[in-house]
Amino acid sequence: SVSTSAASGADAEELQKEQDARTVLRESFLRCLLSMTSKKVQFHMHEKVKVEATFGASDIDVLNFQVSDLHTPIGVQKEALIRCQDVISFTFDT
Amino acid sequence: MQCGWSLLGPLQWLRYINREVKVRAGNDEEHRGWLLTVDPVSASVVLVNFRKGGASVQVVMGHAVEEVEVLKEADDETAERLRTTFLPQRTLSLDP
Amino acid sequence: SWRSSTAPPSERPGERRTAEMKKLYGKDAPKILAMEAAMQLTFDRNCDLKQPKYWPVIPLKL
Repeated sequence: SVSTSAASGADAEELQKEQDARTVLRESFLRCLLSMTSKKVQFHMHEKVKVEATFGASDIDVLNFQVSDLHTPIGVQKEALIRCQDVISFTFDT
Repeated sequence: MQCGWSLLGPLQWLRYINREVKVRAGNDEEHRGWLLTVDPVSASVVLVNFRKGGASVQVVMGHAVEEVEVLKEADDETAERLRTTFLPQRTLSLDP
Repeated sequence: SWRSSTAPPSERPGERRTAEMKKLYGKDAPKILAMEAAMQLTFDRNCDLKQPKYWPVIPLKL
């Protein structure tokens, strides 16, 4: 019927708007992650743990960060994976 | 445990872009900066603070975001700087 | 191994992932898919090469 096709037309438009928004946001975030490669990053983690490491890569689901030269409170770990769930925030300079 | 930030969705997050915001995270963290983007997968927030010759970037993980408060809107110059923050700048560095 | 606590990529056959991406990103899905593939490849390659171990060993937040 007319009303359902009109409704689905509006839905389709809304869906496309959302897809476009998601694309802009995601592309920008991926560029941010890529720009971190080989940079020194400070991680603020739960339980007031603060560590610094050289950023390697993130998996696409943002579950794990692969880092090198992780300065932990008890020494340096040459290669490490950080669980994103443990992280509150992280900082780096461009 | 977690506010509705992660559930807002792309169209809502888009409205925070190019705004100066204050983000409360975890139990006792507060971050302030220009909001560059929100990752639609993890709801993580990217904040930028410009400095001489570059910028300091703070990323607050989506699961830790408690509150996002809008302070003000970017002027054209700031919006342009934000737009180019993570774009490759090879064209500039190619010629010595 | 580092994959033990996350979904291994093999659980996501390319075709299903492409369909999911199309639904999420619409006409720009191929662009995002390509960027993500490159990033995941770097992550996987680095993990194979460097064999990083989780730090901390026990998650801070469960």
